[in-house]
Amino acid sequence: MLLLLCLGNIGNSVAHLSSSSESTLHTNNWAVLVCTSRFWFNYRHMANTLSLYRTVKRLGIPDERIILMLADDMACNARNKYPAQVFNNENHKLNLYGDNVEVDYRGYEVTVENFLRVLTGRHEAAVPRSKRLLSDEGSHILLYMTGHGGDEFLKFQDSEELQSHDLADAVKQMKEKRRFKELLIMVDTCQASTLFSQLHSPGVLAIGSSMKGENSYSHHLDPDVGVSVVDRFTYYTLAFFEKLNMYDNASLSSFFNSFNPNLLMSTAYYRMDLYQRRLEEVPVTNFFGSVMETLHTDSAYKSHRSIDIGEAKIKKRTDQSISGSDRRILRNMNNKDQVSNLSTEENSQDSFGQLWNSVLSKVTTTENVDEFVCHGLLLMLSLLVASTWLSH
Amino acid sequence: MAEISESPSQPSEEKSRRTQMSEPHESDPDFDPKTMRKTKPGLKRLILTLSVLFSFILGFPLLWKSIEIYRAPLPFQSIESFSAQIDSNPLLFPCQFQAVFIGFDSKSFRANELESAIEKRMFELNSKASQCGTCNDNYTVSVVVDSGSDCVETKNLKSSCSWKCGTINKFDSFEKLKDNDEEADELLQSMLGPCHDSGFGGRVYSGVVVNAEEEVRAVVGKYRHAWITGSISEEEAVSRIAEIFVKVFVNGGKEEGSIQGEFMPVGADGKIVLSFNLLNADPRDWIYDWNFHEVEEALVHPVIEALQPIANVTVESQVLYYTPKSSLSFWDDKRASHIFSTKDLPFFVNSNEWHLDTSAAAGGRSKILQFVVYIPSAKECPLQLILPNGEISETNGFISPMWGGIVVWNPKSCIKESDTKDVVRNKISPEDLQKLFEVVMGQLRQLFGLKSTNLYVGISGTSILLGSERGFTEWELDVLSRHHTCFNLHSCATTLGSLSRLVQSLPRMIIKDEIGKQVKFSLEAAKLAQNNASFGIYDASAVSSRQSRSLAEDAFFHPSIMSISYYSFEHCFAVYSPFFLPVLMHVILAALREWKRYKQENKKYLAWKTKAKVTS
Repeated sequence: MLLLLCLGNIGNSVAHLSSSSESTLHTNNWAVLVCTSRFWFNYRHMANTLSLYRTVKRLGIPDERIILMLADDMACNARNKYPAQVFNNENHKLNLYGDNVEVDYRGYEVTVENFLRVLTGRHEAAVPRSKRLLSDEGSHILLYMTGHGGDEFLKFQDSEELQSHDLADAVKQMKEKRRFKELLIMVDTCQASTLFSQLHSPGVLAIGSSMKGENSYSHHLDPDVGVSVVDRFTYYTLAFFEKLNMYDNASLSSFFNSFNPNLLMSTAYYRMDLYQRRLEEVPVTNFFGSVMETLHTDSAYKSHRSIDIGEAKIKKRTDQSISGSDRRILRNMNNKDQVSNLSTEENSQDSFGQLWNSVLSKVTTTENVDEFVCHGLLLMLSLLVASTWLSH
Repeated sequence: MAEISESPSQPSEEKSRRTQMSEPHESDPDFDPKTMRKTKPGLKRLILTLSVLFSFILGFPLLWKSIEIYRAPLPFQSIESFSAQIDSNPLLFPCQFQAVFIGFDSKSFRANELESAIEKRMFELNSKASQCGTCNDNYTVSVVVDSGSDCVETKNLKSSCSWKCGTINKFDSFEKLKDNDEEADELLQSMLGPCHDSGFGGRVYSGVVVNAEEEVRAVVGKYRHAWITGSISEEEAVSRIAEIFVKVFVNGGKEEGSIQGEFMPVGADGKIVLSFNLLNADPRDWIYDWNFHEVEEALVHPVIEALQPIANVTVESQVLYYTPKSSLSFWDDKRASHIFSTKDLPFFVNSNEWHLDTSAAAGGRSKILQFVVYIPSAKECPLQLILPNGEISETNGFISPMWGGIVVWNPKSCIKESDTKDVVRNKISPEDLQKLFEVVMGQLRQLFGLKSTNLYVGISGTSILLGSERGFTEWELDVLSRHHTCFNLHSCATTLGSLSRLVQSLPRMIIKDEIGKQVKFSLEAAKLAQNNASFGIYDASAVSSRQSRSLAEDAFFHPSIMSISYYSFEHCFAVYSPFFLPVLMHVILAALREWKRYKQENKKYLAWKTKAKVTS
């Protein structure tokens, strides 16, 4: 019986959550693109991330809604034969670093702690807006991670790891705080699917480049630059997106099914059990493109007392005095309420508490330190006298 | 295992003992050194080891307390009950309504009947379950029929806002009400308000029906009253008044629906930043500048003051150059202008070139609303927006909820003076600027969920809504206060609920004092807001609800709550066990051994004693 009740409750809560997410409108798209490896031989991870950055910008997501985290600098690396240029193909047709690349977290700022802070939103007060994920309950977020990974972890900066349960925990907190409507996680590492195996928040869709026990391979080596320049999973992702522009509506299922395991040399596994909608109905621009809901302004708002800009100064002063007094009344009522609240709280304590409170208040309100010391000395003296008298 | 022997024996005894020892015991045939002893066993060693053991045992609670994780106590129960209360009882406000009928015969228009008719109609219109932020079910409607000669009131409203009989008895007052809306508004305001009533903080919404020989006309004023003039029948008057009360004063002229988060542009810390941007698409054609400071003083400041209870608003402005838009437009011969349609609107904003969000002043949790005045280049001038029905838009502007609004302003002459090498610098004239800001004001209202038009089209007829120079009329501010109070309290409850669930699920996470304080103050502010709401003080409840939401968000997003940085039990164990395990092992073993030895020796001693007793 109890079990049925519990199940009923769980069912209700899940239904409530899913219904509430359906009722909110999709208002904007965000992208968090993370490259976690450093060193020159991991050039391809940087190129992966920059390729996705370019795709997402081309399809419409603006820089203010993209958080780009690059763990190392390849464009200006001393070993880069083509300074300030990053390629993802040996034909060098596309310079990924060419125009308008805004990197939000660079170099050693890309740590597990900062990544989790970006996802959960718990920054120090001084962190600027460009480094924060300012999504709301109508946002669709694309989270792309690439680097070296393994069974249930992703390696950051060659020195620390992001575990799958940490990621699942962060996503759970994001869902609790309604920081996204839908989340698409793409992981391009070895054994990528294990990284999202612990997720259990609704509204999350995840695809990894390989399954447990499989490696993800790079696509080709650029003999001129000297390192592999792109990974297979990302290469085929780009091949799919280069055919699209921002007005297209290819579906997510066509995207997920475009991966050929023979060409990838691994199995691209995706997880859709937490996602309510059917993949055939979801266009890829829901995550990769930009959406901006617009409403036409029907008319201007005219007040009949059309104020000339010069005249307004005199009028303003009289208006201000009236509204000021209104506000003052408002605040007085507010204060009265607050004071009455506090005083009722105090009255409820017993007499000893009151005595103690009065002593404490006296102690804390003495501003003069000397006065305080004097009081203390007198107290001590009296105690001494009392004790000697008692001991006689 | 040396024995503590008795006082030094005399040599004779020694000798005797030695002789005794060499031979089998002849003096004490029963004495068996293995199971008996003659002297009491010593206690010193036992006491020593036991004292060491006890000191460890005594010190253990101190150690435990010292490595305890500091967690500020959070009031989980209060949070739970607050969330449950917010969910189950939607926040409803007390409202008072007053209908005044002037110039009607009090015999045919009976006050009591009118009152019940209005109440019934209001109940019908309010058929949906009470939404959060609307009036509660025991609102009061009072009717006054003032026919010059006598005056019938149904209820005596205790506030000073009620209608005083006989104030309109001059015929020219009637005329004023018909001709000039502004003056009529002021006249009614002088009669009905201002209300300084400490008992009931909320104001009374009034509807005045004036009998006159002309077409029926309904106007809603800038304060808290509306008036209908014309030759009107009882039923029509009742239905129109009831509709104005329910649809306009209570719901704000919006369609009924749950309070959507996309029209609540207030940031989590209760602040909004209004960012005004003048964009010159191609400065090589012409450069326009504006006198923003004067406009701000005259037009924007009153609005900021009006919005004080709802949000803390700051203003900034900038002028940008080389900011083309990213959508395309086509030339239309018939209208002699470049046309862009509503389908292009989502792609209008060119985020690559428009660097709008560069403010360092706006904190991480404030909301920025961008207002853009776009001046097209000579290639696209004049640029007009065409609506789906084929008409040209009057305002040439649009909004995106939670982002801001854009207005396209075309310069007077679109002909570029191609010969001049110098850059042409112009200023937007004050009249044009005024018109632009009227559109911007309309857009700001749209962003808050209100309409930018001055008409309300209802079931029983159309009413004119008077515009206020503060951007929002008093009754609109009431509606916004109520909705924002509701939304903020909901948000506060969910945030605190999430926080308490999170904290309880991680029992080893440090919770700083600051978080505890913020939660406490947030709950207090929420209670204050609910209190004020029950008294009908809309403004104060909006302010308190804003505070409660911002404190709850501060507590939830406190940077110290990172699950990666809490101490796991394994960590604690690994730090303390290398010292304590070996030491404890030795201490306990020593104590046990001493205890066993003591018991053994004691047994031997007791055995000897009983033997001695038996023999003697």
